[in-house]
Amino acid sequence: MESRVLKPVLAVYCAAFILFLYGPMIVLAILSFQGAGGGPQFPIIEWSTYWYRHLLGLTPPGRITQLPIGDSLVRSLTLAFMTTVVSTVLGVMTAQGFRTRFKGSGVVFYLVILGMIVPGVLVGLGMALFSNMAGIARAWWGTAFVLHVVYTFPFAFLVMLAIFNRFDRSVEEASLSLGVSPAQTFRRVTFPMIFPGVLSAMLFSFTLSYDEFSRTLFTSGRELTLPLTIYGTFSVEIYPNIFAFGVLTTLFSFTLLAIYAFLMLRAVRKGQAFKGQEAEA
Amino acid sequence: MLALNSVSRRYGDTVALDRLSVAVPADSYVSVLGASGSGKTTLLRIIAGFEEPDAGTVTLDDKRLDGVPPHRRDIGFVFQNFALFPHLSVGDNIAYGLLYREHAPVTDAAEIAQRVNDIIRLVGLEGLASRKVSAISGGQRQRVALARTLVTEPRIVLLDEPLGALDANLRERMCDELRDIRQRLKVTFLHVTGSETEALLMGDIVAVLSRGTIAQFAPAATLFAEPRSADVARHLNAYNILSGTMESGRFRSPAAAFPLPAPSSARDGTPVEVALRFDRINVRPASSGGDAALRARFITSEFTGSSVLSFFRMEDGQLVQVVSHLSGPMPETYAKGEVYSLAFDPAETVPFFERAA
Repeated sequence: MESRVLKPVLAVYCAAFILFLYGPMIVLAILSFQGAGGGPQFPIIEWSTYWYRHLLGLTPPGRITQLPIGDSLVRSLTLAFMTTVVSTVLGVMTAQGFRTRFKGSGVVFYLVILGMIVPGVLVGLGMALFSNMAGIARAWWGTAFVLHVVYTFPFAFLVMLAIFNRFDRSVEEASLSLGVSPAQTFRRVTFPMIFPGVLSAMLFSFTLSYDEFSRTLFTSGRELTLPLTIYGTFSVEIYPNIFAFGVLTTLFSFTLLAIYAFLMLRAVRKGQAFKGQEAEA
Repeated sequence: MLALNSVSRRYGDTVALDRLSVAVPADSYVSVLGASGSGKTTLLRIIAGFEEPDAGTVTLDDKRLDGVPPHRRDIGFVFQNFALFPHLSVGDNIAYGLLYREHAPVTDAAEIAQRVNDIIRLVGLEGLASRKVSAISGGQRQRVALARTLVTEPRIVLLDEPLGALDANLRERMCDELRDIRQRLKVTFLHVTGSETEALLMGDIVAVLSRGTIAQFAPAATLFAEPRSADVARHLNAYNILSGTMESGRFRSPAAAFPLPAPSSARDGTPVEVALRFDRINVRPASSGGDAALRARFITSEFTGSSVLSFFRMEDGQLVQVVSHLSGPMPETYAKGEVYSLAFDPAETVPFFERAA
């Protein structure tokens, strides 16, 4: 009786959810194949890959200039990579620290979490003011980088905290009792076992940093990151080349996800014994 | 020799270990018997160095152990849940300690292979070296855990309820093998368990852990025949403990009175507890009196295969258990709710005066 009503409602909800999730992307993907003379809207006057070639500078120079994204793409990727490394390392270390209770752990926990809760625009603005006062030049690799870490570190930390929460400490103690030092124990036992979590933390940090906008807006200085550059192009006039770029960057994200899924699957298959052992204990 | 001297450990208000002292001789099998929550795991963890005592010292061959980090103590630990490395194969699990230990790691691959092979043969894991630890049975995992510890040749091996996760059949077999392996390697085993049969079967010496301290430390046979306190007798799960008071050299409780094995000078009114073995009681009709007999109402019986365990309740509410071994004539069946006379030889009772409050 209940499911007769509930199921269709949930189905409609689910369909709507998927529509709103993928609809914009699909529209964007279709419009990216607009012909040379067409604009960023329907109808498609002619199917072509013109704007993809335009994006890569393969078309003869015309009225519309090439999208100035090359440098900012490299910057954003570099920044995301730097952020990923630092946030994940910090996240793992902090979560490791939280495995033993210490005085003030509650306060520290909320201090860390604050980084993902406070509004980005405010933090960005605050950082801009602060760096002006302190006489620090704003740069994507400096002020913006710090904010990216502050923002993504809590995510990495929470992921690792969840992983350590269900981690069987006796495995580490077993390693210690065999005469293996704590550092080696971490390297040989702990790290291989938490590796799936580390991957997730990295993925979070990378994607969050890669398309971070509000915190970067006031802190990146003169050299812009990719989201800022794209936003900048909106203020002139929009052409389908931005859609073509959107499709390419989405494909890039999917590639990352695929790599993540592959590594994850491998790690999980390797660590299956862990689960079996847990269930038995 | 491993010696603990007046070791205390508390968690908040709970006292896990209370000024515990014990000396474990070298090359021996010592089992520690304790109920759950008696602090037996804490005891092992303090010896291994996973935890530090609040007070007291731990020494091994006269060198202080407390304060030394666990990986520098040279003490092996076999965990109840085995704690194998899930990402390594059986062989790699066993080689792990030799490869990565801080002090004198073995770098020669041939030597490692040799030692791993030897130990695999010793514990009976031939042909499983390349298996994943998830692809072997519980008993095999237990052997891997043991082999992984033994191959590093620790000075003492601590076993924390090592057979608890195994089924009964396997447990008995592992008992024999553990003793056998220990004798061949001449290393001290300290085996903690909550099972009195396991403790008595395994240990050359049995230590009874009660109220955070060692209540008795004696060879298994001595312990069983002469428990030093009512507490110890309770742990052996083979004695009825009757509590009462002294009255002109005899035991007296609201529901029973009988003489003690030896004349006692204890004054009248002194509280006393008497241990009476389950299997030294004869159940007789209520009419047959006798000097040493308890009147009790039959409650129920449990058939355990080789024996029958019967429960009786005395008038003052104390429970009495009687074991009848089935090797003799088949015991008669008793009527529920009927009163019987439980006769015994007073010379076989063990009285305790201290702590009989």
